[in-house]
Amino acid sequence: MAIIKGKAWVAKNYVMSFDMVLQKYWTSPINPAENAKWVMAGVSEEFNSENAFVRAAFTFIVAGHNFAGGGKSIEHCVTGLVGAGIQAVFATSFARLQFRNAINYGLPFITSKDINLSCETGDILEYDSDNGFIKNLTNGKVFSSVPVAPFVAEVAASGGLMNFVRQKMADGTIHELH
Amino acid sequence: MTITEKIMAFNSGRSSVVPGQLVWANVHTVMTMDYLGKQCFSAFESLSPEKKLFDKDRVICVSDHLIPPPSEQFATMLNEWRETVRKYDIPYFYDLGRQGIAHQLMVEQGHVLPGKVSIGTDSHANTYGAVGAIGNAIGVTDAAIAMATGKCWFRVPESVKFIVTGEWQPWVMAKDLSLHIMGMMHWNGHLIYKALEFAGPAIESLGIAGRMTLCNMTVDLGAKNGIIAPDDTTIEFLRPVQKGEWAMLKSDADANYDAIYEVDVTNLGPTISLPDKLDDVVPVEKVIGTKFNKAFVGTCTNGRTEDFAIMASILRDKQIHRNVNMVCIPASQSVYLECIQKGYFEILIKAGAAIETPSCGPCAGIHTGVAGDGDIILSAGNRNMKGRMGSKNAKIYLTSPAVVAASAIRGEITDPRFEN
Ligand code: SF4
Repeated sequence: MAIIKGKAWVAKNYVMSFDMVLQKYWTSPINPAENAKWVMAGVSEEFNSENAFVRAAFTFIVAGHNFAGGGKSIEHCVTGLVGAGIQAVFATSFARLQFRNAINYGLPFITSKDINLSCETGDILEYDSDNGFIKNLTNGKVFSSVPVAPFVAEVAASGGLMNFVRQKMADGTIHELH
Repeated sequence: MTITEKIMAFNSGRSSVVPGQLVWANVHTVMTMDYLGKQCFSAFESLSPEKKLFDKDRVICVSDHLIPPPSEQFATMLNEWRETVRKYDIPYFYDLGRQGIAHQLMVEQGHVLPGKVSIGTDSHANTYGAVGAIGNAIGVTDAAIAMATGKCWFRVPESVKFIVTGEWQPWVMAKDLSLHIMGMMHWNGHLIYKALEFAGPAIESLGIAGRMTLCNMTVDLGAKNGIIAPDDTTIEFLRPVQKGEWAMLKSDADANYDAIYEVDVTNLGPTISLPDKLDDVVPVEKVIGTKFNKAFVGTCTNGRTEDFAIMASILRDKQIHRNVNMVCIPASQSVYLECIQKGYFEILIKAGAAIETPSCGPCAGIHTGVAGDGDIILSAGNRNMKGRMGSKNAKIYLTSPAVVAASAIRGEITDPRFEN
């Protein structure tokens, strides 16, 4: 993956999963482009129209505590972000269910201390995934992040957990996983 | 090792594990329900075109969120769900007529066992820790993979122990302890990703119902799982319903904990969480006199026989205030029947409560008494964020069934210790 560069959207603390994806979409089929249409609709009024978050063309989300919390197991939160072109989310902490879903879909959810205090919406960031550095090119600040575990990188390289497992089923090594 | 570490090791073919380690564990059961089940099966089919489940006795299917269907849209969804399950000839399909909230059924019907790992596509799967199992909420992808392979990946969590001592005071319930810990540790706060272990004499004296309440709400603390080591109470509960062998694992005396907290329940009184934020917790005596117009007891947190029993002992020969509409929803058909047989529902009906057929009800704002603008609800459920039960202009107070029952008599929040 190496280096990704793009525009960031800065969210508040406690972005809730049920605001990221409104209840009427919880049972929609998983399809990133479709799921992206209304993602973030309940988080902020500016994203409450079709494709509003997609049109905003952010590459990164920067958030505070407990991103995607509220305990919904819906995966649309993650696939919606993928469909909207988000390539990494940086937060001081994540809710465990969506953290898990993000790993399964190969979308980096990266824990970084205090990053939310030194970024503003529209800043251009550069993320060096190999070394874990996040550089805010707009204000020159640099942050470090928790390194991505080898398993997480392997899943991302396979194109998500479903593909990872599919390959292991195909080559008969699935039973070796332990 | 802690009990959680032992279960992770035992089910991934290891002699030991350490926190932070990644393991693929064998899962004992996979639960999915009406809301997401169809998605799980289609993801599963994309992995296994020959449609071979790892073990169809261990894929548990439930209709709980949408039943009986409140709208045409949900009726159609439910029909599609039934069609999906029937295709697989799943023996444990708990549908309308044999229904219950998934987490209640998983424990009550013996689908979770001590020393095993069970997963479900709903956040409150943490409930399964009540019988010494690891219960974990997962998404559709993880469910589909487990349905095909019987496996699920986990990061072994750090453990945090709560040693609970002292004597439970009259009318004080496991829910009060749960809310007290929420106030102490904060909603999705320091306990994110941790395994919470509850131990000590005041835990050992709890029945399975109270243990379920306690483990259930660990998800709202942000924890990975909540767990109570199995003991004689567990064995007695499981013996008539057990499906398969279990392992009576418990933590070693020298196990490592990230933190250990001690709580003495002797000083714990009825406790309440104020509207909008779960960790805004105060003793009930701080809000005595607050008026409300709706009361709700049910859910995977507090819809069990023991919960309705305590309500019945408070509401016997009493009347619910005319300004309060109370809805009671038993967590399963077995709970429903037991409450009828024991006379609890007769007492509640005579007091003026409406009893509904088992389902999640208004807990997630779907049906059977959702919140409208201006409602002030006294609920024994588990979540009170804005809009959780319907209107964003409603307020939800969360507390124990005993507080709901006592308060309903006056139409304002009351401490059950003074009402009786
Ligand atoms: S009762 Fe409420 S919290 Fe429990 S499973 Fe149903 S909707 Fe979720």
